Amino acid sequence: MFPETSRCVTAALSPFSQTALWKDLSRCSVTHGPALCCHQPRRHLSVSRCLTAKAPPPPRSPREKVHIPGLEMVTYADRMHFVPGLAKPVSPQWERSYKDPRFYKSPPRHEMPLYKEKPCYIFNQRSNILEGVRQALWLTKTKLISGLPPQLLMAVEDPANQIPDQDERVQNAIKHARFWDTTEERPNKDNTALLTNLLHLCATLKCSHPATSRRTLAEEYSLAASWSRGEDLFQVRGRNGLLHNCMDPLPAVSGREEVAETAAHALESFYPVSPTIDLHKTQEYRENVNCTGFRADFPYPHAHTVYFLDGADTRYKLNREQFRAKMLMFTFGNALARAHILYGSVLDCPITVQAVGTNGRIFQFLVFQLNTTDLTGDHGVKNQVWLEGDVMLYDFAKVRPRIKKKQVVVPAGLAGYKPETFSKFLALYLHGAV
Amino acid sequence: MSGCHEPWPENLTHGSFVHTEAVVKEPNYPPILPSLTAKSKSARQRQVVEHVNKICAAPLAEKLSLVTRIQWKKYVVYPQTFARNADKWYQHLTKTTYIPGLPEKFRSPESPEKTTEKEGSESAAAPAAGLDIDDEAFAVIRDLVTQIILQEHWHTKKHTPFLYRRQELLVGPFLRNLVTELTFTLAKFNPLFRLCSLDINPQVNFYWRRGQRIIPRGHRKGRQEPTRFQIDDHPNCQIRITEQLPQFAQMEAFYDAEVPEITVSPDKMPLFKRQYDNHIFTGAKLPDPARYGHTQFHLVPDQYHRDQMAKRGHSDHVEVFLRANAMASLFAWTGAQAMYQGFWNHEDVTRPFVSQAVITDGNFFSFFCYQLNTVALSVETDANNPRKNALWGTESLRLYESVKDGEVLGLDDGVIRLLISFLMNKP
Repeated sequence: MFPETSRCVTAALSPFSQTALWKDLSRCSVTHGPALCCHQPRRHLSVSRCLTAKAPPPPRSPREKVHIPGLEMVTYADRMHFVPGLAKPVSPQWERSYKDPRFYKSPPRHEMPLYKEKPCYIFNQRSNILEGVRQALWLTKTKLISGLPPQLLMAVEDPANQIPDQDERVQNAIKHARFWDTTEERPNKDNTALLTNLLHLCATLKCSHPATSRRTLAEEYSLAASWSRGEDLFQVRGRNGLLHNCMDPLPAVSGREEVAETAAHALESFYPVSPTIDLHKTQEYRENVNCTGFRADFPYPHAHTVYFLDGADTRYKLNREQFRAKMLMFTFGNALARAHILYGSVLDCPITVQAVGTNGRIFQFLVFQLNTTDLTGDHGVKNQVWLEGDVMLYDFAKVRPRIKKKQVVVPAGLAGYKPETFSKFLALYLHGAV
Repeated sequence: MSGCHEPWPENLTHGSFVHTEAVVKEPNYPPILPSLTAKSKSARQRQVVEHVNKICAAPLAEKLSLVTRIQWKKYVVYPQTFARNADKWYQHLTKTTYIPGLPEKFRSPESPEKTTEKEGSESAAAPAAGLDIDDEAFAVIRDLVTQIILQEHWHTKKHTPFLYRRQELLVGPFLRNLVTELTFTLAKFNPLFRLCSLDINPQVNFYWRRGQRIIPRGHRKGRQEPTRFQIDDHPNCQIRITEQLPQFAQMEAFYDAEVPEITVSPDKMPLFKRQYDNHIFTGAKLPDPARYGHTQFHLVPDQYHRDQMAKRGHSDHVEVFLRANAMASLFAWTGAQAMYQGFWNHEDVTRPFVSQAVITDGNFFSFFCYQLNTVALSVETDANNPRKNALWGTESLRLYESVKDGEVLGLDDGVIRLLISFLMNKP
């Protein structure tokens, strides 16, 4: 501004009125919100003017234009300029003759090609369902059995089915994933390294167990499975993690009698919470979509194990209960998609799929057996799931020791290694190959 | 004249002293050394000598940290670079000689030349000849390779890749799958792989000095400053083993080899200077038992894919890019392995360090072998150092023609043979 006016301002404002000036400005910022704090203080060149900044008047809704059919409005379109008294010309909606993705406007819901009246509830890899495993059990009509099937674990007790120097090599794998993988002093939060190392360790058994070479690992695959439960439609969709595919199907874990006994089991209800809570409700979906992520002539059609990584995607976080529910839903989705594609609508023999989920330290093991694809009612044969959750591989892996009151509480390095966890991992890996 | 024979002084008599050891006399006074703290050139020289001795005497972990302790501005060398004639530059910076073709052990037994396109009849007769595996295993591996190609390009449903992310979506998983499956299938024949460590997307870093320049301006103007370089590489995957691979050729064989000399400053390449932490890293820290390298697998990124290069009219640069990539990556890896064993600039390697690399863009494969004969590349140590490092390499070889209707057309057995022979390399 001009130096004379600024001098006038400072001369006019006495020291007392200056404080009043700042107080008023701060008051008006409090009343009108923090957005005004960062705006430049207005230049108050007139002393007698009101100092508080007024909020702008709210925008008025435009006047409703009534269209009387048959009555043509006289517009100033021909005059090519505004004429008071004449109506504003309304031009027809212009549509681009070509397709430009920057200016695409999606049609309203009911005009979309996939719109359906009946809503569908979709479970994807970000779903964080309220009731966790209970809700997943109800949705998939499954009976829960805690603990892994004992016949699986018996196979690993045989030394022929173990890796030579197993404990030392697993501990090296953990140390590599947690300490040695990076130039930084502190390990990175990424836990894919541990799962990869453990899978490589198991793969060294290929020489002694040739049946394990009839498998392949798929990194990214898009799953889709749909079913109806009661009156609602449900779908499982998404890309969730690693998948071991196998040429041969996994053997059924429980026999016919046990499967028939599940018909007597009653599904746990969590009324008044609806089973569709936290699922993505949508009315635009493809009906009866069942896709394993691979083409029909894939030489490895059967799913063996699905590996889930907790915390791989930083955009969402799941609690352990919800993570187990996600594992169950996606394992069920894999089994169901394959049931529809390989066996049609009637399931001859049960389909077994396994799942392993980890956050780097804590493992969740799951074996799912699909006994029926008839999920509409609550009666009849149920599916079965053996779930063992919250199994720790080791207690602590710290770079610096934790010292409380000058006593070492947790030493540096790997502490509290538990060999049973890797035995279970290996048991699930070798299931079907032993 | 026997009478005028004077007694010979004792300290000058010879004869019986020939077979006795020299008498070591304890010095009466301590050695006269230049000062350590004076502001003089000799004091500075003595400080440097003391520092070098301190590093030589230090234990391994401390040695590495002492070498990389102080941060200075250094040239950051990118293995995958757009620069023209990058291979000549990197040959000069790493003192490497390039030998077209592969070493003796990888050449096919039928013909002395390297295996490029083998005739169908020759390969059908003895596909696994020269390798330590039987024909049945070769057939199994051939089927495995076909399955992996089909899985990524035909069977798995993939969305359309975004711009410049095609390699990451399609070829990255294929390469990782291929390496994992081949490594653990060949573990039956190569016992090294039962104890190996297969890293996915690891880090490889190396820091070294080569050459010097006169500081042009500033308070240190006119003084000599060593030029420092740093490589930060990210191969797609690599195999690290617990034992060292045997050398491809004698160190002395390369004394007369040609290494291009470039007198111009590295700024002209272009190389740019930055200052940050100096890292020397093979892929895992020192305590890891798998300290030696076996093979690295690199992926050609979208920007340097041969189709993109052809669009820009740089088709002749494709091979140069691959060579430069292999040279820088393998020098960094072998150099880091040597430093993990305690060899550094002033303590040169006593045995050559050997590693291999395969660079691919999904269809074309190039094979490289590197032998590190010397780490002493700085001005003081390079003056009388006749040793040179060596890189062997092939041109790009096509693995298959195309994938059509669930079939892989034109699968080349020669490339599969080379891949297997690379992986079967063991001491």
